Amino acid sequence: MTVAATRDTARDDGRDSLQAPGLTRGGTPYPDPSAVRRTILGMLYRAKASHLGTSMSLVEILVAAYGACDIAAIASGLPSRDRVFVSKGHGACATYATMHHYGLLSEAVIGTYHQDGSALAGHVSHAVPGIEHSTGALGHGLPVAVGTAIGLQSSGRTDALVFCALGDGEIQEGSIWEALMLARHRGLARLIPIVDNNQISSIRATSDVIDMRPLRKRFEGFGFVVHQVDGHDVAALAAAISEIETGQVASVIIADTIKGKGVPFAEGQPVWHYRSLDDDSYATALKALVEDPVPTLAAGAGS
Amino acid sequence: MRGQIFNDLIALMGEDESLFFVTGDMGINLVEPIEEKYPDRFLNVGIAEQNMIGVAAGLCNAGYRPVVFTIGNFLVHRCFEQIRDDIVLHEYPVVLLGTSAGWDNAPLGPTHHLIDDWGAIRNLPGMDVYAPSSVEFARSALGRALAASRPCYIRVAKGATSIEDSEHDVFFRPGADGSAGPLLVSYGTLASECLKAQELAPEISVLVLNKVHPVDASVVAPLLVAHGRAIVVEDHFAHSGLYASVCQLIMEEGLDARVFPAAPKGYDLVVGTSAGSYHEREGLDAAHLVKRVGALGRVGAGHES
Repeated sequence: MTVAATRDTARDDGRDSLQAPGLTRGGTPYPDPSAVRRTILGMLYRAKASHLGTSMSLVEILVAAYGACDIAAIASGLPSRDRVFVSKGHGACATYATMHHYGLLSEAVIGTYHQDGSALAGHVSHAVPGIEHSTGALGHGLPVAVGTAIGLQSSGRTDALVFCALGDGEIQEGSIWEALMLARHRGLARLIPIVDNNQISSIRATSDVIDMRPLRKRFEGFGFVVHQVDGHDVAALAAAISEIETGQVASVIIADTIKGKGVPFAEGQPVWHYRSLDDDSYATALKALVEDPVPTLAAGAGS
Repeated sequence: MRGQIFNDLIALMGEDESLFFVTGDMGINLVEPIEEKYPDRFLNVGIAEQNMIGVAAGLCNAGYRPVVFTIGNFLVHRCFEQIRDDIVLHEYPVVLLGTSAGWDNAPLGPTHHLIDDWGAIRNLPGMDVYAPSSVEFARSALGRALAASRPCYIRVAKGATSIEDSEHDVFFRPGADGSAGPLLVSYGTLASECLKAQELAPEISVLVLNKVHPVDASVVAPLLVAHGRAIVVEDHFAHSGLYASVCQLIMEEGLDARVFPAAPKGYDLVVGTSAGSYHEREGLDAAHLVKRVGALGRVGAGHES
């Protein structure tokens, strides 16, 4: 394929019409974050897998990001498609669960998470259809997202959105700031980095490891317009995305989240980065998600 | 040889609009014509090599074929994880164009010596490595690399050495004694030292690999067997360089041949004013090679004093 051959290809995803408030790009309601969390819980429990904490903090970020994308274009791999990079590759379970709720992965496929012979490893893998890039070692996803955004810019596909989910621990990696400098220099207004600011790094509070508070100032110092929102409020995330999309400036979303959100015994507990669910903890977590679900957009998460 | 490769690149970018040039702020008086002619496919990422490799992977995601350029040290060592995860794992056909091979940057010190680079790259499955020995090969190296549609590393030396009939991946110069004489195996800059050694001692045969990885067993194995003994001459550590590849080939194929290294043994903190200074110190210049070959000859095939 040469770029010239596709450069003049018009977008076919209706990007010219803005997303309706409260609805995804496709005009459907957002998936219920609590339902996504229950899917995650089941995947992690069956697999005896770790990363519960980050999986739960990421949910609304991914729901909002995929919600702003043309899902059909992602499914068919169109060159002009929107892209979602998950730089914090340990967010794999949340990513696959969210993709499932958007119809990108079947129940049978996500049921193979962490199983022998499956493509669905514990870190995001491009062996899974619809995944843009394998990640796992931290600090890799944003540079790739930046390169993709530059490539889209160079080939005239200037409408496509390029999301990149980052961890607040991950941004200690120097490559993230290298990528941000280039993104700002190139004025990549369709690149939307979203920091999952769950305030826990690998083994302890991020601020105890490297204190970057106030985080907003770090990004502002690098020349970005910062949207700091409640990272468990899909409407607030969607509003920030919409504002970035309609603007022309390099921007970052800081999504303030809670690691382990929705699973009371895991909330804010670093150990749930590593621990896997047993029968009792699974039952307790599931009960919490059913009886006290994280408010959905429809339930009044606000606009 | 950089000039030949860049001339080739500019021509190829005119033919193939998917080619995208990326530099880590290197290549003064070399990259400007690309920027001028193809501004939409030129990117200077600045002094940020880790990001540069990730960006190259992203350009592949967007449909481009990047050629990434900087000094080999910064390209390989700084970015090894990015090369592994973002390029090789994804089988993106990125061309890594690294300059300053061996001791090209001699007086600049060991941080700028490149004697441990492609051995690391060789460890990554699916990557080709080219080390042009001449301007004749350099002229076509990029085209060959692109035709292969695999990720690759081109290790480019300074200078503009011309070697007749050297435009192929491998070339062989038989010695006056045919297969009875010793064999020198080399690549890159040191191919010329081996050919000089042959002028001094015509019984020497010389095998040059412009493509050093993977080794073309169909060419190398019969010559090793025919000569029975060989010295691998390289400006790279032997334990991960061509010597290691040749040893592996001998073991895998069960060849009746002995091979000896002529290579640097470690980093050198003492300044040398030119690559030639280091070649002499490490016994890699033509005069030393002739002596090594003489030692081989005295004790017969398969042994060296």
